[in-house]
Amino acid sequence: MAQWQEVQNLANTHLEQVHQLYAAAALPMAVRQCLAAWIEDQDWLQATEPLSSHARMLFHSLLALLDERLGSLGLGDEDFMLKHNLRKARRDLQAAFEEYPESFANLVANLLQEERRILRLGQAGGQGEAAPAPSTPPKSDREQEIQRRLAEFHTALQEAERAFRHLEDLQDAFDFCYKVHYLPGQDQTKDPEYTRQVQSLQAKLQNLDRQRREVVAQMQQLLGRSETLRDFLQQELKAWQERQQRSCLGAPVDTRLHQLEAWFTALGEGLFQLLQLLRALGELQQKVTYERDPLQAETPLLETRLREQLTCLLQSAFVVEQQPSMPNTPKRPLVLRTASKFCTRARLLVRLHDRNHRMEAAIHIDRSAPTGLRFRKFNILTSSSKTLLAGDSPREGLICDFQYLTLKEQKISGSGKGSKGPNEGPLAVTEELHLITFTLAYAYCGLEMQLETSTLPFVIISNSNHQLSSAWASILWFNMLSPNPKDQQFFATPPPAPWPRLAEVLSWQFESVAERGLSREHLHMLAEKLLGSKPSPESVLSWSKFSKDGAAGFSFWAWLDGILGLLQEHLKKLWKDGLILGFVSRKQEKKLLKGKRTGTFLIRFSESVLGGVTFTWVEHPESGRPAFRAVVPYTTVELASLALPDIIRDYQLLAEENIPENPLLFLYPNTPRDEAFSPYYSQRQEGSLTEKKEYLNQRLIRVSSRQANESWQTEEELVVATENLETLQLQPSGLGSLQPTSPGTGTVVAGSPGTLQPHPRGPGTLQPVSPGVLQVVAGSPGAQHQGPGMLQPGSQGPETPPLVRVSPGGLEMLQAGTGAREPQLVLQLIPEGQGTLQVGPGSLGTLQVLPGGTGMLQQGGAGDRGTQQVAAGALEPQMLLQLIPEGQGMLQVGAGDLGTLQVLPGAVGTLQSAPRTTGMLQQVGAGDQGLLQPGPGAAEPLPVADDQGLLPAGLGDLGPMLQGQDMQELLQFLEQDLEPGTGTLETLEAAELMPNMDSGLGQMDGRLGGSAALLDPRDPFLPQPEDTALPATSSLFAVDADFPPLHIDASDFQ
Amino acid sequence: MCAVPAPRVRPRLRGVAEGRPRLQTREINLLSKFDVIQCIWSFCHSTVLLMGQRSGRQERSKKPEMSLSENMKAEEEDDREENKELKTKDQRLPLVFGVADLKNGAVGLYNVGQTCCLNSLLQVFLMNIHFTRILRRITVPPYASLKRNNVPYQMLLLLEKMQSGKQKAVSPIDLAMCLSKHRVNMFIQHDAAQLFLTLWNLVKRQMKDQDLVTKLSDLYTICVQEHLACQICSSEMKRNSNMLTLPLPVLDSNSHMLKTLEDCLQCFFHPEELTGHNMCFCEYCDKKTPFLQSMKLVHLPQTLTIHLKRFCFERSTNVYKLSHCLPFPQELDFNAVLTEQQSQAHGSEKAAWRYEIFAVVAHSGSTNSGHYCAYIRSLTECKWYCFNDSTVCQVSWDDVKCTYGHSDLNWGQTAYLLIYMKKHPQ
Repeated sequence: MAQWQEVQNLANTHLEQVHQLYAAAALPMAVRQCLAAWIEDQDWLQATEPLSSHARMLFHSLLALLDERLGSLGLGDEDFMLKHNLRKARRDLQAAFEEYPESFANLVANLLQEERRILRLGQAGGQGEAAPAPSTPPKSDREQEIQRRLAEFHTALQEAERAFRHLEDLQDAFDFCYKVHYLPGQDQTKDPEYTRQVQSLQAKLQNLDRQRREVVAQMQQLLGRSETLRDFLQQELKAWQERQQRSCLGAPVDTRLHQLEAWFTALGEGLFQLLQLLRALGELQQKVTYERDPLQAETPLLETRLREQLTCLLQSAFVVEQQPSMPNTPKRPLVLRTASKFCTRARLLVRLHDRNHRMEAAIHIDRSAPTGLRFRKFNILTSSSKTLLAGDSPREGLICDFQYLTLKEQKISGSGKGSKGPNEGPLAVTEELHLITFTLAYAYCGLEMQLETSTLPFVIISNSNHQLSSAWASILWFNMLSPNPKDQQFFATPPPAPWPRLAEVLSWQFESVAERGLSREHLHMLAEKLLGSKPSPESVLSWSKFSKDGAAGFSFWAWLDGILGLLQEHLKKLWKDGLILGFVSRKQEKKLLKGKRTGTFLIRFSESVLGGVTFTWVEHPESGRPAFRAVVPYTTVELASLALPDIIRDYQLLAEENIPENPLLFLYPNTPRDEAFSPYYSQRQEGSLTEKKEYLNQRLIRVSSRQANESWQTEEELVVATENLETLQLQPSGLGSLQPTSPGTGTVVAGSPGTLQPHPRGPGTLQPVSPGVLQVVAGSPGAQHQGPGMLQPGSQGPETPPLVRVSPGGLEMLQAGTGAREPQLVLQLIPEGQGTLQVGPGSLGTLQVLPGGTGMLQQGGAGDRGTQQVAAGALEPQMLLQLIPEGQGMLQVGAGDLGTLQVLPGAVGTLQSAPRTTGMLQQVGAGDQGLLQPGPGAAEPLPVADDQGLLPAGLGDLGPMLQGQDMQELLQFLEQDLEPGTGTLETLEAAELMPNMDSGLGQMDGRLGGSAALLDPRDPFLPQPEDTALPATSSLFAVDADFPPLHIDASDFQ
Repeated sequence: MCAVPAPRVRPRLRGVAEGRPRLQTREINLLSKFDVIQCIWSFCHSTVLLMGQRSGRQERSKKPEMSLSENMKAEEEDDREENKELKTKDQRLPLVFGVADLKNGAVGLYNVGQTCCLNSLLQVFLMNIHFTRILRRITVPPYASLKRNNVPYQMLLLLEKMQSGKQKAVSPIDLAMCLSKHRVNMFIQHDAAQLFLTLWNLVKRQMKDQDLVTKLSDLYTICVQEHLACQICSSEMKRNSNMLTLPLPVLDSNSHMLKTLEDCLQCFFHPEELTGHNMCFCEYCDKKTPFLQSMKLVHLPQTLTIHLKRFCFERSTNVYKLSHCLPFPQELDFNAVLTEQQSQAHGSEKAAWRYEIFAVVAHSGSTNSGHYCAYIRSLTECKWYCFNDSTVCQVSWDDVKCTYGHSDLNWGQTAYLLIYMKKHPQ
């Protein structure tokens, strides 16, 4: 905005000063107003110089302009006064300054300067008043300083340009006069006129010389100021780079670049403008030069200095905006996997480019690696260069975005000297640091240079997840400690980490995974664990102690990373909301719980198990010291089937003499359990309670049993107690479906070759080995005998099953069959993301679902309302899934040890009767080989109650079942439909697959991040027509993008 | 085609501006303070030389001596032509200037022919109110020719011109012409440290008043004691020397870059063993023996000039510039930098060794072609200004910090002379 305009907008107090200024001045305000723009545009300071003809010229121009303005004024009333005033002013000015135009120039210069001063004051004051209002976040002092300097630089540049234009005028004038008047060839010295001309020419040259020096001085000054500004920007950039480094480690910091980009661009623009000005000066010098021409001496120097400035600015302005990272592990950048895609991006903060020049950007890996670096060598497989197109994305700036890059290790074909490959270095793979260098051929305004920038060092791993974890540890250590961001040999001698620094970084890990960092208490516990003492600010931890050594067989980092993984997958919310105390040493734990009520518990991470979480509760016996009990840690395997809040809700402690009870009553310090955890319980379908229930719901619970005199106060005892821990888990995994489709046939269709992981402690594994094959491996047949069978009070006859819980709602995994005439079985295995299909330890699984016709259901769980649900009106017993402990002499599933799942359709009223009509009894054979064949471990005939019909126990029994027509039909069907790679079983129509289940299949419940589908257990199957053979069906589905499409090979079934 | 002619001087003695009276009172206060702090030290050295650096590194010390003797001759020549001119109207200039003129506002100086070095130094002199207070008391030479050739008088005229007008810059052409008569030529690249010594010696030499000469010496002279101790018989030789600048090395004895100004000072005062080729003759041992050469600081003046030896000689005649980063503090306490052994002064003297920075003469460019500018913190306003010939602008300490140097920038500004001012006792 023009100065006069701004002056008029000033607040009253400051405006008053302006009025005072003009009241005393010889220049009337009317003139100032009338010729505002022109006056501001002239170089009055220049005119104040002695010997300057400029002043006179300006004065006369002003008078002329006034005349012009007078002439153009109309005859209106307002104009009349103005006309009068101006006319008077003109007269006065002429009278006063005709002889002394320099004084006039001086006067105007001073007035303008004074105006500017008042303006500054006024605007500063105005800002002070407006300060509380702004909506944008307050800028730091440094930011304001940079803004101010940029503005100043810009103004100074404009002034320099103005001075330059003036110089041009002077030079033109001189040049003209010189050519016209100076005639050296003729002897005209006697001609007074000529002498006068030459003198005047001399004066003009004098003036020109002065102006040249003036301009040069201005440029010097400008350049000096720009150095400070560049220095400021580089400091800011450095701060950004540090922020970026911390952000890579998970720190919550702002890594946006737009502000820096704007600053760098503004300064770059200014400097390039200055460069052009300098070149124009050079051209002026080409036209007119003389002895001791300041331009001749100073311009080259100035230009060298300016180029150096620009180079320095541009070099630092080329930054890696996004450090290399793989898209599927965005929180762990700088760890790359061979043959996996990754991306990285560099940006030139000076957003100036020549549209006619192709800017080539390229990337190189380990380009300037120090010689003697014996690291693996890699190639970038994808194209490593790119052209920055003009107008590519003007708003986004100049970026070199490399996506979909992949790395491949260079295989050295020749044999190395030693037995090791030539690429083997002294460092572990995860300690090798690699760099990617970006280069950019930059050209603008005649300045050409090669810009270069490097990423932070990264680690290249080949495949396993374990490597990812330790690679990340390397990245943490490097970025936390390396003083040199390019030091590829950092791990040759990794420095120890000061504890405070490490603590901060560890906390970021938790913050980035689960949005809650580590508290002081947490860090305290970790420090004690690591350093063995109270941390002091001077404590340091060595790299090997952090990532390599560990008393428990794993390093500190492996342990911590296990916990991070557990949090990430299962406990995010609980951790975020602070329900997990987490890092509590055993000593501390006792201290905390000692004074609390019986049943107060806390959740902490196991120190002996990788990625384990457990709860400890306190019991105050009537006499004696308080007892602290802890359950063996749950790992991600257990939590995959049942979330921790549900475990806590339903946790049962069984003792021989007591009815089962949940010992977990209050979350430390004293929040009632349900109050603390109810928001996290999985949903139960309360609404359906009122409906006519055809099916019984089930729920998976965790139970511990103990001997009366047992105590679990130490970890060792806990380990022993594991065997007493009874779990029944049905954990469907990756995918596949277990669907007995017709009576008498049991089939397990493993959808895909996905990996089903065995339960680590579970006695058996159910593993689909290939499509369509479900193997149940009896892991340790002997183990079953260890199962104390505590849960199976022998006294209970078949009519009263030991523990029955049928509950509606929830994510029950076992689905009761329809209430049709014929018993049905539906066994549903819920696919989890995990890919583990688990059949819990047989020794204790007591999950029985009883047909509820007759109130036979017993509920074991205390305090759980609504779980005692009898499927009303079911005439026939509906479903029996019995896992009966061996001792029972009943139908046994699982060969006790595990792995065999037997489903017994029960008849009415008889709890464990064999199916009367059809071959309802299905066995999913426990076998280690072959298809649906009971393995040797399970081969022994299972004890069968007398009145029960066929109990296929052996191999032979199963064989015929497979040949059942229905089964074959199904298989054929599956083959036809699925082979073309339809991807998932979802494409099958439910009705076709399971004619009696019209909606079940469709409603798959993506329980875990959509990676798995679950047949909705709440959806009751429709009653079957009487005349149909009712299939007992169980399905196991999973849809996971990571796995290949479902493929069933018919040959597997033959 | 033409040389730059000397324009006639038209001193512009304008009336005082509105702002002045207010300033007066403040300056009077300052004045009275300064009277109190007159240096207690007096010296009787006729010429102050830049004391030689220690053996083996004596690149610069000889030049000032040379220029001084030349100046003597020049002066004699000038005296012969003194009678040619009669009194001029210049005598109407007030002989004693009022305190109002002590303002020492920031006014630029035109470059009149590669005079950026001279301009920077003049600004450093003329912005120093301690110096101008002495300058204003000089006696005006009686004849026009004397006046033309009298450096202090021309400096005074220039100061007057700068302070009187409202121009943003004035031309120091008269002074430059005057200096050229003393062999300080225009259109020549000068070394600021050298020119400083020349200028200072010229001013001192041409002052007639002994009292003023003493004061001028007091204002600038550093006094050190050189010790040479024979390592065999422990005999010791002492010698007091006066210096105008502390010529600090920026590399240590192993040619490693020193990190801070304090390091440079420590390196400078660090005792040095003279062995091998450097052994000296010991009159007691009667042979060449190894010596320990050390330097002790005796006295520091009000205005302390530090010369960073950034220009470095290679083995050949090549001179190159060291532009690495060398930070200097805003406040410098010699007691914190030097050890007990490195000073030879009593308590009250040492208590006064607390300085704050007053000016920086910065050089940009290479040894062959370069540019000087001066950053000066106005003693009256306490604001930093950058003087780039005719362009003057207010700057901040951040701008001054930019003259620390930068290893990546060979053409950038680097501090060359640092002028520290003794702090007032609280």
